Amino acid sequence: MNKTNNINVGGFPFVIDDDAFDYLDDYLKKIDKHFRHAEGYEEIVEDIERRMAELLNDRLKNKRIVSREDVAHAISVLGTPEDFGASDSFEYETYEGNDYQTGKKLYRDPDDKIIGGVCSGLAAYFGVQDPIWVRIVFALAALGAGVGVPLYLLMWALVPEAKTPRDFLAMRGEPINVKNIARIVEEQVEHIADQLSELGNDWKSKKRKKKSD
Amino acid sequence: MYTFDIMKIENTKAQMRKGVLELCILSLLSDGEMYPSDIISKLKEQELIVVEGTMYPLLTRLKNAGILAYTWKESTSGPPRKYFHLTPEGTDFLKELLKTWDRLVNVVNESTKNLVENE
Repeated sequence: MNKTNNINVGGFPFVIDDDAFDYLDDYLKKIDKHFRHAEGYEEIVEDIERRMAELLNDRLKNKRIVSREDVAHAISVLGTPEDFGASDSFEYETYEGNDYQTGKKLYRDPDDKIIGGVCSGLAAYFGVQDPIWVRIVFALAALGAGVGVPLYLLMWALVPEAKTPRDFLAMRGEPINVKNIARIVEEQVEHIADQLSELGNDWKSKKRKKKSD
Repeated sequence: MYTFDIMKIENTKAQMRKGVLELCILSLLSDGEMYPSDIISKLKEQELIVVEGTMYPLLTRLKNAGILAYTWKESTSGPPRKYFHLTPEGTDFLKELLKTWDRLVNVVNESTKNLVENE
């Protein structure tokens, strides 16, 4: 015995198995997300849903209940957002083309920070190779006239922190394309892995200390 | 890097297909109105398109641009269907596209002639 659900797809009623329902729901959510920013978003999603209803209906014939296989079949005909992106995406060419480039933007760099990442962000913005030079300037400004500290705090509060791959690319003034975004994501994963292993080491040494105490 | 070169080639191929896809859809529709999945099955034969989902954004865009229009038809196998046809502007647009296509074919043939002969 299986639990079933009553659903409405593209204005058409269906009785669907529980697992098939989850699969379908997940797929339609992905479709919705993929086209969210496309021209004619609502119409596209409605068209796809209607076609989904038709494909499911074709499969049913003498059965009454939609199974997971039926959903899988319909999805293979319609394709997933991954399929759209791989070959013939129409609305997303801007992401792949090299001509899509936002200007440089000032961000704080959370991956390379002493306090708030203001100096490393400034270094990236002005194309200074090593943020240490910006840090020295700030340190001198703090010692000399005393403007360094309030200026730093102000910038810390006002300048946003780079969070998404897009932010990181804009921070460095690099073109936003699939290749670069993939690289940034890779870098961040490495960075997180580094931090985790550091944490692990800290914890171990603390434990050892406790034991020796 | 080898993998990157493959990516580049695939990207170029996709761009080429994308360029002619619109022309092919409009040409198919010049014979009369069609249901999207019929257009798609024709295009699948030519390997111009792989999954149906890529088609709907394109049709919506062409409709919003006034090149295509649709009428609703009842269907025995599910929800009502949208049948697409060319508008008068769409017919003119297709004529223009065909002219451009002819010129392109000539230019490409001309500029790749020596390569083909040397093969």
